[in-house]
Amino acid sequence: MRLRGVIAGVAWRMLKNVVTTPSILLPSLLFPLLFFVAFAGGLSQVQNVPGFDYPNGYTAFQFVFVLLQAAAFGGVFTGFAIARDFEGGFGRRLMLASPNRLGIVLGYGVAAVFRWVITAMLLTVVALAFGMQVGGGPVDLVALYTLALIINVCGFLWSAGIAMRIRTMQAAPLMQMPVFLLLFLAPVYVPLSLLGGTLHAVARFNPVTYALGTGRGLLAGDATQVGLSFGLALVLVVVFSVWALRGLRSAEAAG
Amino acid sequence: MARDNSIVVEKLVREFRKGPRAVDGIDLHVAPGEIYGFLGPNGAGKSTTVLMLTTLLPATTGSARVGGYDIRTEGPKVRSVIGAALQEAALDPLLTGRDHLKLQTMLQAVPKAERKPRQNELLDRVGLTEAADRKVRGYSGGMKRRLDLALALVHRPSILFLDEPTTGLDPQSRTALWEEVARLAREDNVTVFLTTQYLEEADVLADRVGIIDNGRIVAEGTPAALKAEIGRPSIHVTPVRDDDRSVITELLGRFGEPLGSERDLAVRLREGSGLVDVIRAMDADGVVVDDIELRAPTLDDVFLAKTGRTLEGAAAEKTVAPSVR
Repeated sequence: MRLRGVIAGVAWRMLKNVVTTPSILLPSLLFPLLFFVAFAGGLSQVQNVPGFDYPNGYTAFQFVFVLLQAAAFGGVFTGFAIARDFEGGFGRRLMLASPNRLGIVLGYGVAAVFRWVITAMLLTVVALAFGMQVGGGPVDLVALYTLALIINVCGFLWSAGIAMRIRTMQAAPLMQMPVFLLLFLAPVYVPLSLLGGTLHAVARFNPVTYALGTGRGLLAGDATQVGLSFGLALVLVVVFSVWALRGLRSAEAAG
Repeated sequence: MARDNSIVVEKLVREFRKGPRAVDGIDLHVAPGEIYGFLGPNGAGKSTTVLMLTTLLPATTGSARVGGYDIRTEGPKVRSVIGAALQEAALDPLLTGRDHLKLQTMLQAVPKAERKPRQNELLDRVGLTEAADRKVRGYSGGMKRRLDLALALVHRPSILFLDEPTTGLDPQSRTALWEEVARLAREDNVTVFLTTQYLEEADVLADRVGIIDNGRIVAEGTPAALKAEIGRPSIHVTPVRDDDRSVITELLGRFGEPLGSERDLAVRLREGSGLVDVIRAMDADGVVVDDIELRAPTLDDVFLAKTGRTLEGAAAEKTVAPSVR
């Protein structure tokens, strides 16, 4: 009961701030849309490049990337909020008022998921309005959104671990940069087979590459490496959960 | 069974990395329903003690039980029986006063049916009913402090920690807060651990006072007992002219030990000496003064007697040479 109360309280406060404060809400909605419109619209001729073999067209190809990117950054932005709370003293208030402090991390996590759900719904509506072709069935689509949700949780746990260790907004680049690099060292604009040189070599070992490939496959109804992608994502959740919990212990030790 | 709402501290130490011992082996016992004033200058170790007792900061060594629970091993239970208003009322500027109370009732698992009535009751008690639906960023310092106190009381804690609760408040708000704290102890039997650097606050509110300096408790007792320990009153003289200072100092020296007061010339009277004796001596020597005052011992005198400095002077020292903390 105590744990549930803490989770609900922390999540409620975060979401209330998001929904009632346009300066928080709008960037998290507009940036993914901007990316999507810029990539899918501006680079649509990429689908005519020889070797581009994605069957559902460039809009759908880009939609999956932007969906996963919004998921990852939605998690990271919640990490920013944690850092801001600790820097301003509100984190200490939560630590003091919460009999069970694990609930604080989980509450922020729930808020990150809800934030992403709002973004994902809007993004999907806009993509469909842009004529995105969907080849996958309901199960494929549920799997696609579940994969994105797991990535959202990974992004959140990673940044929460940093935020609770450093407890200042100066940690923001540290939270953001590795996620940014991982995302953009993957086959973002063209399939892996069309990447060359160092980028191809790096992308082959990047876990985001597998998530992107599986996500695009699920949207097209022709998914490959589903087990591997979900397995990698879940391993990351476990690793980052330990990372975030140790971050919480670090914040507790620092007072 | 009645809840144990005492605080028992034994040899509590907090050492910061590469820093001094902020708290250096303190022992104290606060009885249920007692208001304990923890008095000391900035940097003396008051807030560090509060942070440890409220489980926000681990102790380096030593032990403490708050409400019967061990602060090291039973943190969640400690937090469920205490309320705390820390030095800076850290509030979310985007939330309203009522939102803060709602959040606090959720965190403290107040039953749903009781949440709204409890919020309204507390808003009324701290005089924030009208401002309840305004965002906190528009609140004055006094309003923030009052909201902070209301938040600390949401779950009806049996022990309340107040870390310099009236710093920066206007006299009216300060008096109102004192009244509320006294009421909590008197009517609700809440144990109050109050840190302050205001002598008057400790004197008016506290049943017992602990004086901390450089991480150590240098004196402890009821304000009356501590002052009685010092015993003798002091005489404070303001000369008419600066040239008279040495004459007056010499004259006063016949009746007691000089005090390190910067504003006036002062002595702590020896046994058997009184104001009348001093005035007669002045008459006899033809000394004219602007003002002469007999003062009963204060907690500042206690602080001076125990540490060799006035509380004001100690605070200034810390300001000039801040500690590593």
